Amino acid sequence: MAKLIDEIIQWGEPLLPVATDPAWEAEILSRGGRPNNVDLRMSPLPWLREFVFSARTYFYNVAEMPERLFPMVAMVVAQENACRYCYGINRSVLKISGYSEAFIDAIERDVRVAELDDKESAVLAFSRRLARARPRPLRAEAEHLIGLGYSPLAVAEIVSCVASSSFYNRVITMTACPPQEDLEQASRSPLDVLKQIGAAFRQGIAARRQITRQIQSLPAVALMGGPFGTALASLGGLPAAAGMKAAVDGAMASSVLSAAAKGLIVAVVARALGCTYSEGEARRLLYQEGLDDAAIDSALATLKSDHLQGAHSELLSWARNTVKYDTPVMQQETHALAAQLGQPAVLEAIGTAALANALVRLAMLLEH
Amino acid sequence: MLVLLELGAIAALWATLLRAHRHNRQLEQLMAMADSKLMLLQRQFERFVPAELVEQLTEAGRDIEPRRKQVTILFADLRGFTAMCDELDPALTVTILNDYFSRMIPAIARHHGQVTELVGDGLLALFGALENNPWQALDAVVAAQAMRAELAAYNAELSARGLPTLRFGIGIHSGEVVAGMIGTGGLSKFTITGDPINVASRIEGLTSHFQVDLLITDEIRSGLDERFQLRAMPPATVKGKPAPIQTYFVLPESVPDTAPVAQ
Repeated sequence: MAKLIDEIIQWGEPLLPVATDPAWEAEILSRGGRPNNVDLRMSPLPWLREFVFSARTYFYNVAEMPERLFPMVAMVVAQENACRYCYGINRSVLKISGYSEAFIDAIERDVRVAELDDKESAVLAFSRRLARARPRPLRAEAEHLIGLGYSPLAVAEIVSCVASSSFYNRVITMTACPPQEDLEQASRSPLDVLKQIGAAFRQGIAARRQITRQIQSLPAVALMGGPFGTALASLGGLPAAAGMKAAVDGAMASSVLSAAAKGLIVAVVARALGCTYSEGEARRLLYQEGLDDAAIDSALATLKSDHLQGAHSELLSWARNTVKYDTPVMQQETHALAAQLGQPAVLEAIGTAALANALVRLAMLLEH
Repeated sequence: MLVLLELGAIAALWATLLRAHRHNRQLEQLMAMADSKLMLLQRQFERFVPAELVEQLTEAGRDIEPRRKQVTILFADLRGFTAMCDELDPALTVTILNDYFSRMIPAIARHHGQVTELVGDGLLALFGALENNPWQALDAVVAAQAMRAELAAYNAELSARGLPTLRFGIGIHSGEVVAGMIGTGGLSKFTITGDPINVASRIEGLTSHFQVDLLITDEIRSGLDERFQLRAMPPATVKGKPAPIQTYFVLPESVPDTAPVAQ
């Protein structure tokens, strides 16, 4: 299968070096996590590294959706986003969790032929559509899941899981983090699978104790203030909400890229996916930066803005291509952008575009 | 004797079972290989058309619903190529044409367009037909600029080999069309139909009349910004249209990102 994955998803050279950051490594360890090369590549940008860590440890915070479905949802989203790294890891996680190669292949190909019940198949089909987002799944489709017996909060968690995975897949893809071949290799030998199951079980218990202890489920009212408040409020009561809220606030407060640049990136992604709510939120951010509707409309029509000059002039064309992409082309374009912007700025651009793609998916349920 | 017969029957049965088991395993391996090839094929196909369309096409019993859509249409045609064909060796003619298309098609794809027709030395590309694209007019003009750059690079190669160079005319227009699977039985494909496609074809024809290589209509001009330098051409009457059409020549000095990609 690995050969097939490599044939399907071409993967380029890493964009960023593995940074040395003992304080961040110690912080991850203190939370019950194990720092990996992704954590360290993202370490120069605090808000981004936090949300990346939050997205990759999401599994330990699953509260309402069936835990069994989480790795399956993560895998189909990674498949849709052509993320070689996440696709390989999620396949391995399912293998280590005891699923056969044939079962995993069936999920990848067509959930209707996998050995899943109607409720489970519906979740995977919904997740795949939400990851694609073209055309957007309507609120009625989420209500269909509720009709099948999922609670509204469980459906919100499924949406959040797709949104977080979409973010993570994009960050990993744009930075071309090398696949975790040791884990993929281990999932191929029965003995190693057993060892991995034991290790995962022990780590899972330890990590769940520590990671979940530190994450509070924020109520909807606490999520309403600030950008994307209405969309974030749909996660009220879920542990995932705090990470998403911190990412939005952190991204907007960070000064590596200008607030106008970040607002325009979000607006472009929203326009590409036809999400009026998200475009409206981006406009509100841009008004605060002094842009009027004419300036925003012009930027959205031409993918150029007077607020993005010189090295930043290609930022919007690049952001538009983060919505739907051919993986090797996306990686080449991001390398080119990094050559213009430098590493700290390109990292913030990547994080912002990936976050925008996540927020638009989260917001889709608000629109009928 | 009876025992021997029974043992013989058991051995024969065992051998048959073993053969069946081996045969089964071979069949399973063949199925797995076929599955892998199909999956690879589907994934490769998805690079050229949206995954939703592939899924709809590969699902038995599902049709693609025809839809009205705003689409931008680009027609490109080689000028004087038919006359060139008469003078060149047929194999060389085909090689030149294939090399030309192998440069134009990726240039269009890089800018979110899909080439849906190759007719002789002409091509038809669509922007926004398969999925909504708010930047379809901009994409089409930038793609045309990229085609210019590719053609210039290819002409330099042809000249170096002592071969005649190529010239093309490109017409771009947009409007509402009907998109869907058109055709019957084994001869059907996803395409568009409607008046804008005829207009785009006529605009491409006007490039010859005006002796320019790239013309656009008002509908396209409204999607461009001041980076694009345009020259208004005299309004021209075209077949099938009662009123003259205003077109604009996109000057080669217009910038954006059109460098040829290394082959």
